[in-house]
Amino acid sequence: MDSPAIISEGLTRRFGDFTAVQDVNLSVAPGQFYGFLGPNGAGKSTTIKMLTGLMAPTSGRMQILGLDLATHLIEVKRQIGVVPEGMALFGRLTGSEYLNFAGRMYGLGRRTTAKRAAELLDFMELSQQPKTLITDYSHGMQKKLAMAAAVIHGPKVLFLDEPFEGVDAVASGTLKTMLQRMASGGVTIFLTSHVLEIVERLCTHVGIINQGKLVAQGSLDELRSGVVAGTTNQAIEKMTLEEFFLHTVGGNRSAAQELSWLG
Amino acid sequence: MAGLDAGLAAQLRAIGIVRWRLFVNSLRSIRGRLNLVSRGLAALLIVGAAIGGATTLGAVAWGMVNEHQLQWLSVPFWMIFFFWQLFPVMATAFTQNIDASSLLRFPLSYPGYFLVRLVYGALDIATALGLTWSAGVLIGISAADLRLAPWALLAVASFVVFNLALARMVFVWIEHWLSTRRSREIMGVLFLLMMICFQVAGPVLGRYSRWPAPHKLTVLAKLLPLVRSLPPGLAAGLVTKATQGQHSSAIFSAVLLAAYTAGALWVLHLRLHGQYRGEGASVGERPKTAGPVYGGASVRRGWRLPLLPGPVSAVYEKELRYFSRSGPMLFTLVMPVIMVFVLWGGRRALMGQQTNFVFPVGAAYCLLVMTNIVYNSFGGDGGGIQFFLFSPISFRQIAAAKNLAQLTVLALDVSILWLGVRLVFQPPRLRVLAFTFAWLLFATPINFTAGNLLSIYSPKRIDYAVFGRQRASESTILISLALQLILLGMGALSLGIARHYHSLWAATGFLSALALPSITAYFIFLSRISGIALSRRDVLTAELCKA
Repeated sequence: MDSPAIISEGLTRRFGDFTAVQDVNLSVAPGQFYGFLGPNGAGKSTTIKMLTGLMAPTSGRMQILGLDLATHLIEVKRQIGVVPEGMALFGRLTGSEYLNFAGRMYGLGRRTTAKRAAELLDFMELSQQPKTLITDYSHGMQKKLAMAAAVIHGPKVLFLDEPFEGVDAVASGTLKTMLQRMASGGVTIFLTSHVLEIVERLCTHVGIINQGKLVAQGSLDELRSGVVAGTTNQAIEKMTLEEFFLHTVGGNRSAAQELSWLG
Repeated sequence: MAGLDAGLAAQLRAIGIVRWRLFVNSLRSIRGRLNLVSRGLAALLIVGAAIGGATTLGAVAWGMVNEHQLQWLSVPFWMIFFFWQLFPVMATAFTQNIDASSLLRFPLSYPGYFLVRLVYGALDIATALGLTWSAGVLIGISAADLRLAPWALLAVASFVVFNLALARMVFVWIEHWLSTRRSREIMGVLFLLMMICFQVAGPVLGRYSRWPAPHKLTVLAKLLPLVRSLPPGLAAGLVTKATQGQHSSAIFSAVLLAAYTAGALWVLHLRLHGQYRGEGASVGERPKTAGPVYGGASVRRGWRLPLLPGPVSAVYEKELRYFSRSGPMLFTLVMPVIMVFVLWGGRRALMGQQTNFVFPVGAAYCLLVMTNIVYNSFGGDGGGIQFFLFSPISFRQIAAAKNLAQLTVLALDVSILWLGVRLVFQPPRLRVLAFTFAWLLFATPINFTAGNLLSIYSPKRIDYAVFGRQRASESTILISLALQLILLGMGALSLGIARHYHSLWAATGFLSALALPSITAYFIFLSRISGIALSRRDVLTAELCKA
């Protein structure tokens, strides 16, 4: 069996007295489509920032494709693609200028970069109005451009923080098509999302983080049938992902007795 | 439907409470508390300006009435008018404004909304000073001749109400126009042109002052009827006519002033009613680009700089593209030309016949105006800083590429300056050129070293597309100013050496000797910048990615 594409051991991040991520041990095999779930403020974005080198952990160890992030940061960065929370775009460039810039930052030659940039712009349906600045793009277009920049160098591991947030159905379809193609080609994809339906449809494996702690991790089938370590419980057998998620993070709060004045 | 019957008074009280809570909550951060301190200092200055201005204008008005020079009474009114209307525009026009029409989601009646918008923000510095200065004029006139007090009160009150209405009208329309990025940029260019006009005003006025008096009088005579028929002229005319016993004419002036006020309120109503109907402040914003087009994308290749790695070329290209699309950057580029004009205008006062030093002074100015960019070099990248952090390129290379781009702009600036000096004065002599380049060789690496460090230690997000309130952090400004003083001081010291040895080449030698450690220090710090950036990545992303 291949060694995991992503490993974290005891990953912890504190902000003063507040512990955002505590002792997270992740293991994602090569080629897995891994969904990282959690309620708002659970520590998803902090974890992804640490895994991509955007944030230093307080303690713990991370390996991407067998390379330790602390000692081989640049080598790791060459192998990964990232769409972070804020999309990391340069608003005053055009889409093609940004892709040109991104490709060359990842060490691609000028000719290869220009060719791939053109293909990506076409695939993402961004080739219209080539002189439009990114700052004038719609949110969905910016997401697609950020995704294009993240894959232009052909990464082996792709980290996506809420890639479908604020994206319409058409753009979402384009992104899903590309991600599925990459996953079938052996690329490891690690994504966070609030939309459980998307995770259920796209991902093969899921990790759930709550209040900074990884509370469940495994394949979708394992989670649904309740055989994941720490979650084994006859009562949760054959749940949907949403039911399992709510059960795990304690989100089964009923509004029936509250806000009665709402009618 | 409970709660919908809340009265206008309750809504106004709620808005007041929200404003207060916003202020109190802003004090939770250290920056908020420091802002309060700086506001306190600013308040002292404002009180000084209010008292000083009111006393001066009051004394001027008193003197005019006492000396029967009432034909000049419109001057203080014009001064108040220009300040009252232009100051808020200068202070707020070049920033992204809060869309106050967000109040419309609450069940607010139109009169209530109109009232809120009229009052909301009206209690600003310009209004406070305008009111105080107007009161000064009123007291001045009344003190000179108590019989004029009722007429002066009518004139000043009408004038004040007009200014309040006009200022709000101007503000809401500017708020409307500036709701789009493009219009903000256009305003930015207008601001730039205005700055240039201010800079060249000295030379132009100098020329104008040599006009013969009859020419000036002809121009003034043509302007006089226009001046009299405008609100400040009408306010002054009201008092003047009352002095001459023409009471019906004085009342007619008051009616005209009221008509101007009604006109301003009507134009204000047009905008506010449009907003109330649902247009919103951002009605002018072009819809974001959408709609697919398949195929046909052609992307030209990026730049390639000889001897430099691809990523460095990519960052260099990106930087120059950013500069070329930035209003402040254009301002920086035209600065040398402005500088030549300024030095040309004030050459006699500034340096007598020593025009040899126009080029070095201009070059120092070129470097000085670049500090805004050099000392906060990641500020314009905003969220793009994340890309730098997760891309496989060291910060050393990124900083070097940025410095290279800054050096290119500086070189361009100095070249334009040289051309300007050559055309307007005389070609700089070789020894002056050598002295200037020796100083630049010494000062530029120091600026770049300090700039790189402060860009990482004290970053602040800025938008290159807008003018005003686009500053680096307070600590950065302070350190950069201190450093510029030291660098200029070293230049002055070198001139002292030149004077001692009776040769400018001695100063050039001294500065060249200083340039060596300066360049060495630059490369030493550059080699350590990656580690520093990595240890500060949390601060960098937190400061630069916030909306």
